[in-house]
Amino acid sequence: MKDLLTKVANTAISRFGAQYAEARGQNLSKTIFTMKEGRMEAAKQGIETGVAIRVLVGGAWGFASVGTLDEAVLVESAGDACAMAKAANARIKEPVKLAPAKPVDARVEAKPKQNPAEISIEDKIKTATETTKVTLSRDSRVKSCTFDYLDLTGKSVFCNSEGTCIEQDKLYVWSKITASALQNGVFTFSREEIGSTSGYEIFETETPQTIGTRLADRAIQQLDAKPPKGGVFPAVLGPNVVGVFVHEAFGHLAEADLAMAGGVLAYNMGKKIASDLVTFYDDGTLEGAFGSFKYDDEGVPAQKTLLIKDGVVAGLMHNRETAQKFQAQPTGNARAEDFRVEPIIRMRNTYMAPRDRDFEELLGGVKDGYFLKSFRGGQANLDGTFQVGIQEAYRIVKGELAEPVRDASISGNTLETLLKVDAVGKDFALDSGRCGKGQTAFIGDGGPHIRVSEVTIGGSA
Amino acid sequence: MAAHNKEALLSLAEKTVRTALQKGAAEAEAYVYEGKATSVGIERGQISKTSRTIDHGVGIRVQIKKAIGFAYTNKLEDAAAIEAAVGEAVAAASASNPDKDWKGLPQKKPYASAPPGMFDPKIPELHAEDLVNLSARMLDAAGHGDKRVFAIEGGAGAGFGSNAVANSNGVSAFDEGTMVECSLATLAKEGNTVTPVCFEFNAERNLHVNPEWVGKEAARLAVSSLATQRVETKTYRLVLTQFALQELFYYTLINAVKADSVERNQSPFKDKLGTQVGSEAVTIVDDGLLAGGLRTGIFDAEGMPHQKTPIIERGVLKNFLYDDYTARKHGMESTGNASRGAYLSTPNIEATNFHVMPGTKSPEQLLSEVEDGLLVSYLQGAHSSNPVSGEFSVVATPAWRIRKGKIEHATRGVMLAGNIFELLKNVAIVGSNERKMGQLVAPWLLVENAKVIGK
Repeated sequence: MKDLLTKVANTAISRFGAQYAEARGQNLSKTIFTMKEGRMEAAKQGIETGVAIRVLVGGAWGFASVGTLDEAVLVESAGDACAMAKAANARIKEPVKLAPAKPVDARVEAKPKQNPAEISIEDKIKTATETTKVTLSRDSRVKSCTFDYLDLTGKSVFCNSEGTCIEQDKLYVWSKITASALQNGVFTFSREEIGSTSGYEIFETETPQTIGTRLADRAIQQLDAKPPKGGVFPAVLGPNVVGVFVHEAFGHLAEADLAMAGGVLAYNMGKKIASDLVTFYDDGTLEGAFGSFKYDDEGVPAQKTLLIKDGVVAGLMHNRETAQKFQAQPTGNARAEDFRVEPIIRMRNTYMAPRDRDFEELLGGVKDGYFLKSFRGGQANLDGTFQVGIQEAYRIVKGELAEPVRDASISGNTLETLLKVDAVGKDFALDSGRCGKGQTAFIGDGGPHIRVSEVTIGGSA
Repeated sequence: MAAHNKEALLSLAEKTVRTALQKGAAEAEAYVYEGKATSVGIERGQISKTSRTIDHGVGIRVQIKKAIGFAYTNKLEDAAAIEAAVGEAVAAASASNPDKDWKGLPQKKPYASAPPGMFDPKIPELHAEDLVNLSARMLDAAGHGDKRVFAIEGGAGAGFGSNAVANSNGVSAFDEGTMVECSLATLAKEGNTVTPVCFEFNAERNLHVNPEWVGKEAARLAVSSLATQRVETKTYRLVLTQFALQELFYYTLINAVKADSVERNQSPFKDKLGTQVGSEAVTIVDDGLLAGGLRTGIFDAEGMPHQKTPIIERGVLKNFLYDDYTARKHGMESTGNASRGAYLSTPNIEATNFHVMPGTKSPEQLLSEVEDGLLVSYLQGAHSSNPVSGEFSVVATPAWRIRKGKIEHATRGVMLAGNIFELLKNVAIVGSNERKMGQLVAPWLLVENAKVIGK
């Protein structure tokens, strides 16, 4: 495929007048299924092939995606992309330019202990069945259990007109398991998400027993929980909530495209915006983590990118276009979900660095507040406001964990909240998830337990 | 790629079904999709991106001993690849567990006559230049007059898709549709103040979109979100726009009326058919045949006829939404609500056009009914609502304070907390200003007794 893609990229330059061209070809296989209460909805297998062509002509982008490896169609599509870019560049005031990237010729092989492509679908179904059994049999009040499974394997080949040609294996294993419980008309809901780029061996640590138990226990515990009082409180955040906060509330602001689009971070480079205790990374190099890879979809090596160091904004996440605008280095954050879409700036594994406190010390500082252990969902706006829904939380009374609360959420201004981080734990955990920004990306996020002196707790009470 | 390829798609679907039966499937269905989308993108105020995606593929669903298997491939020109995919589907079914509730693939049923305006033959002929012009008109309209407004992103897109579905029970159907949309996200800056992102769009099945209106509205929203004040924590009257309703309904109400949610105890509407679940002002119809609707078509994703299904009539719950599988499991008939991600997935239940029937009051008249309240445009965090209980706790941004029937100022730090099903009972007045937004077709709603957490 390398020769074909190189030829297509070079033809865009020589025949259609592109200043830059790239072709990204993929052969992908997927296994996907959903099991509800132990009943298989449908076991699904997918095979897909296609090429994404991206060209720069007169400072405007042209992009074409086709589901074929046929050379004549690809060359025609390259011409189409160039013609479209020409239609757009007539009005361009600031032509798009790319930061330099060193040409790379590389082959990246996945080396799973257990390759999901070689595991039979029967075995995958068995894992789901066992997890469902553990969840539903834990307590009669658990009423439903949904097990979503996906694995993706295959090859992605990226070649551009600057001499880069990279062939990478792709390997993802992902699962989301949800349960609901019912008692006296009160419904509760609990979710777990796991993911790996190592291999199917993830299910050796996240066994049906551990996942099912955690899931069911949380749903049951919530049944007796009361909604929290709304208002401003001190809170201890678990790694899972810290992770979603780092990702949603802060991370998106540090994506250079969104920062340029008017996000608050663009004005704050080199400035202190958070407590001294706050250090954030976006790291594509963690072995096996769900957001890790070797080269991004512009052929730039993934790296460990420092975003905040001791409270000071240290950097943004870039692709080649934004790196040029900011006079920075590309950070390897350009990712495309598949050949149907163009690469955009996405996070990898985004986390807060741990410090020195024990969990008990964190709780000890709170007279009347909340421990927010596990999230349900989160969202943020460019103006720096965020909202995180919480699926598992407890009151903290006089430094001790007290009764559970349900359907809490936290909200506030991200930068104000970062200034209120007053203690950071020494533990660390990373969760796997998916992030939507028009396209879906597999990501990781996490951190230690932390304490914030004030955050707005929303509840329905 | 040809725009009108009815025969080719149908014959591919039928042939794939025959191949599956030959390979041992007891029942088989093939869903063939072909689509082309062209778009022009705006970034930071200028048109700098163009894109064309041509996508096609076939999804094959088979049943063997009541176990279901599914496979897809996008290699339509490669007969061996399609045959291999059929083999994968058969293998997946053989590996899977039997479903004792399986009653069979859908049986052929007559379709209603095609609703008008689903396919505009001018759309497949559009060039990138046409969309560049559309985007430029929108940007020009947004840029007029106010230096504080920044167009962040947006653009214009046009697409058409055709699909054919065939199964071993005699279903064999073809449909095609077009869509054009333009959208613009803006924000306004003044001093150190940055507004939340404001968004406006217009999507239609034909070429009659209004880019000037989108540009002007997106700019107006951003400017009116400057100069915020906080509001007191208390109970208010709210006027909810379609953006807010879409967010709230999508994760809660729409799920609650899906028959599979009900059956799985994931809906508070279980055992509530025929009872009052909303105020008398609320009437909702799921209408897969709505003229000009963004989800309108002759049939659903498994070839069952689209129809008009009353969901809530004057507050009384009337029906749930069914696909064929869930319907037959309960001795009912499909309501034509099977949906699928083109050829990539099996059907699942989804609303078509979820139509909240309009009332008679204009937006101004709605506002004039509010002595002290909020106009809520966008919500953050609705996707973290409890989908089962309907409890939500979301940020309203931007939202505007209404006093004595007039919009007074923008707000910040406003959280709404409540329960969507309680909210439905508190709908006092339904506006007349309906618009389409994805699957939702609705006017503004005035809601009483809403808990707002402010300062």
